[in-house]
Amino acid sequence: MIIVVDGVNRDRYTRLLDEMFALRARVFGGRLGWEVDVRDGKEIDQFDHLDPAYVIGVNDAGRVVSCVRALQTTGPHMLSDVFSSILAGEPPLRSPTIWESTRFCVDTEALDRGKSRNSVGYATCELMAASLQYCKDSGITDIVTVIDPVMNRVLKRSDCAPYDYVGETVPMGKVPAMAALLDCTDERIEKIKAFAGIEGDMFVDEATAQALADPADAPAPAPIEVPQLVKEPVVTQSQLAEYCMDQVLDAHTAEELEAAQRLASALAQAGMIHAGH
Amino acid sequence: MSVVDLSKLAYPENNLRSFLDSVCETHELDYAAYAGMNPIAQSVHGVVNYPDAWQTRYVEQGFQTRDPVLTTAARSIAPVDWQRMRGDEAFKTVFREAHDFGIAEQGLTIPVRGPFGDVGLFSVTRNCSDDEWSKLKSKILGELQNAAVHLHDHVVHSHELTRVLSHPSLSSREVEILQWIAAGKTQQDVADILNISNRTVEVHLRSGRSKLGALTTSQAVGRAIGLGLVYPL
Repeated sequence: MIIVVDGVNRDRYTRLLDEMFALRARVFGGRLGWEVDVRDGKEIDQFDHLDPAYVIGVNDAGRVVSCVRALQTTGPHMLSDVFSSILAGEPPLRSPTIWESTRFCVDTEALDRGKSRNSVGYATCELMAASLQYCKDSGITDIVTVIDPVMNRVLKRSDCAPYDYVGETVPMGKVPAMAALLDCTDERIEKIKAFAGIEGDMFVDEATAQALADPADAPAPAPIEVPQLVKEPVVTQSQLAEYCMDQVLDAHTAEELEAAQRLASALAQAGMIHAGH
Repeated sequence: MSVVDLSKLAYPENNLRSFLDSVCETHELDYAAYAGMNPIAQSVHGVVNYPDAWQTRYVEQGFQTRDPVLTTAARSIAPVDWQRMRGDEAFKTVFREAHDFGIAEQGLTIPVRGPFGDVGLFSVTRNCSDDEWSKLKSKILGELQNAAVHLHDHVVHSHELTRVLSHPSLSSREVEILQWIAAGKTQQDVADILNISNRTVEVHLRSGRSKLGALTTSQAVGRAIGLGLVYPL
């Protein structure tokens, strides 16, 4: 069964998130040998601090057995910031109705072979189908997903072959990585479910969601920082002016100089520094 | 399409308001609201088409700082249906009052995240049953996502500095496809010419439209020509 944990409810699911980060450490840091940062047995990167949504698979005992992470392509995401080599210097896709999915993995140690509900195959398909369903329910039409060739084969074998790819397959640490496109359509979701024999609602009901939450007597999590829509200026005019001056003085090439001057004049035009600087 | 293209209009807030009105009209909604923060310009923008009396009341009560609709949605990547917050005390406080001004508690908020850490929140409401709401929602959610980002990008780009920093960066695939469209080819033609699927063409067109701040493909082509990315044919 599947639960979605995001910035809205993550304070109630610290246990699930810790298990998920530990699973990612074993899979990406261990088995697949990706160049990821593992600390205290948990794999956490800068994008985990941006309130992504996690689609998480749990077994009947309530343990995390699979997970994937989603981010909007309108804001910072992996293809725009760290996987740019896949795109060979090309800018990434940006659309309100395309999300990026990354860090898809399943726990091959906790799950067995075969086709039962407790198998690797079932858990993989359930996570794929549920994450596509979650996207579709949010008005999303397509996913761009960063995967390795192993995952690419798994997708093809599970009747969920990508309809296309963007960029190229490039080495990412010890393994090649690529970006695939998947449509979030009923047709694709039904094919995956039929392939694995998944029936009924994949998502947890209210009672199960509560049972999976941290116990009430657990230490209270740090209070959620309420996003402040109104912020005090953090940079003064003179600091900005000084920054512009440094950029101009530090320019090594004609292009750098031109870019620095363009920035300074934009700031001056916006009234953020005085034109005299 | 009856949606107002914001980039064709001068900036004053009343144009944002007519955009909200047209979104409501097109998608059978009662009211729409946008609140956004641009950390580069260090400015906050808000525009609503709620009744003036409710706007006044909302600000008087300082609801903008404790409205759970805003504080919750800012942490989500998915649209947040207000049904999720019905049990919340702060939500009840705001909507008990809103009800007196004819604002329904049936609604949702779409969070937008931009490249500079800018965040926008686009909310819509409709007075109807849960059943009708869920049907309407699944029909219009994709369009509302587009409207939310269009509105947000427009507000963010209205600041000169952000505009300079965010020159549209199209991939060569996006430019190539727009160039064929400018040459009068259909989407299927382009797919055949480039030997890729129709859906791949669609995805790149959508991305190109978003980067160019355009609602339709012809607007995107026009703007790409204006920027010298595509040759007029």
